[in-house]
Amino acid sequence: MMTASTRAHVFSIFARRIHAAFKLTALFFFLFCIGCATTNYKATPAAPNLPENARVIVMPLDVQLFELTAGGLQEPRADWTAAAETHVQTALESFLAQRKDTVVRYEPLQDNPEKARMNQQLMKLHEAVGNSIMIHTYFPGFNLPTKKDQFDWTLGGGIQRINERYGAHCALFIFIRDSYASAGRKAAMVLGALAGVSISGGFQTGFASLVDLQTGNILWFGRLFRQAGDLRTPEPAYEAVSQLLVGIPL
Amino acid sequence: MTFKSSCIWILALCLTCLSCASTQVQDIQPGEKPALESDEAGLWMVMDDIEANLKTSGRVEHDPELNDYVKKILCKLQPNYCDDIRFVIVQTPHFNASMAPNGFMQIWTGLMLRAQNEAQLAYVLGHEIGHYQRRHSLIQWRTIRDTSSALIFLQLVAAGAGVGYAGSIAQMVAMAGIFAYSRDMEREADDIGFEIIADAGYDFHEAANIWEALIEERDAADQPDQFILFASHPTTGERVNAMRKMADQLESQGRAGHPYQREYLDATRPFRAKWLKNELRKRDFAASQVVLKHLLSTGDNPGELHFYQGELYRMRAKQGDHEKAIASYQQALRCEQYPPAALRSLGLLFWKTGKVEAAKDSFKNYLNLHPDAPDYEMIKSYIEEIQ
Repeated sequence: MMTASTRAHVFSIFARRIHAAFKLTALFFFLFCIGCATTNYKATPAAPNLPENARVIVMPLDVQLFELTAGGLQEPRADWTAAAETHVQTALESFLAQRKDTVVRYEPLQDNPEKARMNQQLMKLHEAVGNSIMIHTYFPGFNLPTKKDQFDWTLGGGIQRINERYGAHCALFIFIRDSYASAGRKAAMVLGALAGVSISGGFQTGFASLVDLQTGNILWFGRLFRQAGDLRTPEPAYEAVSQLLVGIPL
Repeated sequence: MTFKSSCIWILALCLTCLSCASTQVQDIQPGEKPALESDEAGLWMVMDDIEANLKTSGRVEHDPELNDYVKKILCKLQPNYCDDIRFVIVQTPHFNASMAPNGFMQIWTGLMLRAQNEAQLAYVLGHEIGHYQRRHSLIQWRTIRDTSSALIFLQLVAAGAGVGYAGSIAQMVAMAGIFAYSRDMEREADDIGFEIIADAGYDFHEAANIWEALIEERDAADQPDQFILFASHPTTGERVNAMRKMADQLESQGRAGHPYQREYLDATRPFRAKWLKNELRKRDFAASQVVLKHLLSTGDNPGELHFYQGELYRMRAKQGDHEKAIASYQQALRCEQYPPAALRSLGLLFWKTGKVEAAKDSFKNYLNLHPDAPDYEMIKSYIEEIQ
């Protein structure tokens, strides 16, 4: 209301949200810089047990693209995001078409509020679990003592309900956040280099999970984590998807 | 020209830009959606995502009747924007509401507990509608983006010129600019809220009244710093005066309106116990006392209100509070309706103060009145323990 410090409040929402997404990027970037080489994917021993012609549900993509402003803010870009959604979807379908598996696209039931609600909860859950995996399995300093070397993450058995209409074996979730330096940011980077100050550019980060639809267990997990790539055009988007899906047991 | 002197020239130029940055923005029209390639569409995209996530949150008040009631007020206030504005009622015991650029509004239950009639809630909703119509979020985003971008160049250039301190001075100037901008937008939204409720037939004096009650609460509060909204909002005394003046002016023109208190109390009564319970959990008893006082003055469902008055005293537990709590519970029991928990709390306090027979009676009455109580066995064991 007036309160609301609406301004302040809405901006704190933006800031929090954009922050939440990019706090991780910043953290990863820091860790990236101090150097930690790991493979980009993780898999459970159960992963190879999928049948020859597995049926896979591709969940709605969670992709957002941002422009890095000169001052270092992440400005959300709806046009780039719309383009990226198309390119990533196309790339994903042609990547999976080379496999023997049957791929079905998940269509949320908009006419059923309860199902739509559950779908949204699952997407939120995947984001939360995926972010935890990113932190706690890729960086030695953040390993969880109780997990040791096991990779036993799960979304829980509640996921069975999305399978009612599909009769599939597993579901593929994808989450990507990507940013690109604006012209102003590039100028600041050049000027910074002259002044002896290091100013960072855009960053591509994301993860994909292949989830067992009986147990909710994450069978395989792949990640993107680099200062490269471009989802705004088809070929680099295909390259990014291939990088993300390295080692997927399909 | 040397590198250093070039830097000083650029620095001067940047400072000039910083002070003249302004954006002309048109009001948003009913049904209007931003062009996909605009910065505004980006803000909408992020907020649409937040909206979808928040709507499935466990903290949201989903009751259809309450939501329909608020929706009806919104549509009455601005029929043309009725389809453009969505909202959720979020269970948070603080006074607040907020509007996102895509028309998604958050209304906190702390606000709904404090509003004393429909006109007061309508005024806050009207204020938020004002932010939406005027695209305040977009303007603010651009201000922050452009200021921070100007600043980074300024800081780099200042570093190059060897006058590093210029960067931090500029930062202070820029931050002050952002907050002043924000206060101007709050004033504008206040004025819009006022006009909207007056046009919709609400009692426009309530605009000043809700502010006044909030000031009263802040001045009483144990933790006045928690009233975050005062930081970015115009000095509140100034706003009360502005709203009073506008109201007097309308009244002198023969205009009048209705507070719709009965409607408001009917719509919120079923939720009040839950909201009061959350309010007391803040443990800022002096502030909550002001809220309770205003609620008691409505005379609505007094049994419940006296019970929570007792709870406030019992939880605060200062010298003499136990006696005051007992008196409040007893007052609740004299009302036509009261929460059975009043008997349980009374029993606990009697027991604590050594009046074991009275405690036993209260517990027994509680169990008789509330045979399905989740703590039935626990209270039964108390009775046995007393015997």
